[in-house]
Amino acid sequence: MMGPATLEVPMTQLPADLEYSCREEASLDAAETLDHFLASVERPAFRIAQMALRDRDDALDVVQDAMLHLARSYGHRPGAEWRPLFYRILYNGIRDKQRRRTVRSRLFGLLPGSRADENEPREDPLERVADGAPGPDRLLMADQAMQRLETAVAALPARQQEAFALRCLQGMDVAETATAMGCSQGSVKTHYFRALQSLRATLGEVY
Amino acid sequence: MSEHDVERPEAALERRTRKVFDASVEQLDAGTRARLRAARQAAIVELESRQRPARQGWVPLAVAASAALVAVLLWRAPAESPVPVASSGATEAIDALEVVAAGDDLDLVAEDLEFYVWLEHAGLDGHGGGQG
Repeated sequence: MMGPATLEVPMTQLPADLEYSCREEASLDAAETLDHFLASVERPAFRIAQMALRDRDDALDVVQDAMLHLARSYGHRPGAEWRPLFYRILYNGIRDKQRRRTVRSRLFGLLPGSRADENEPREDPLERVADGAPGPDRLLMADQAMQRLETAVAALPARQQEAFALRCLQGMDVAETATAMGCSQGSVKTHYFRALQSLRATLGEVY
Repeated sequence: MSEHDVERPEAALERRTRKVFDASVEQLDAGTRARLRAARQAAIVELESRQRPARQGWVPLAVAASAALVAVLLWRAPAESPVPVASSGATEAIDALEVVAAGDDLDLVAEDLEFYVWLEHAGLDGHGGGQG
């Protein structure tokens, strides 16, 4: 049995408690929503990063950084905005890694003894990394078709790689892809068209 | 040339590449999956740690503001309270001004018309029966 007096106390306390619990609930919801979102993109994002960087650890680093950056800078934004933002961050990270590699390879190239024979054609170490030579992790990859695809995609210019990965592999529409790439929708269409042309020429016989 | 016209002849390529890609995603090894999971958890912790200070940040701010207000009130309180001026008896003018300046005494003067008249006759320097 509950009299009017017992009802009054909880009623007077309700607004503050409710406000606090709503804030807590909102926080939990945001964390849960972000968890679901990241769970849905982490594996494809890793594969995309691995295709671009051709290195498992570098790909994992870039994906982890992208996740942290998204949570830190855009965690408060609506979940619908996360996907293009996440891939934009991811590709910034990929480009940053590639730049560092290029600088490192150039620095190593300047070191004495790095070029034993001056008559030999100069080779960019980055190209050696990206030549599709089977490494330990590559040997573990059973799917030969995926290896061919990775090699073909790696041969594309960076922007075409992005357009292809986001439009075709991730199924993003032109507008989302444009946001993720930070360019116009027209540029996305052009990059994607050229990527498909190149891949068709490379993979046409097998695919 | 529209995008639709471009995509049509490439549809088979797109389908096939997507299928291959999806299969490779499913075939990720356990070690990679575990590292991705750990990275995701770190991102969630980052989000929660970002939200916590924003939610509870007003508490220390309110405490600091209250402390500052109390400090200001304590500092200004003695200056605003009426301080009795030590009557040294050096000059009568100062005594008279003190009488005029004190609010309570003014009330008394207003109520006692006789005293007011006496004061007029005695003048400021007069000693004529101050109590009278």
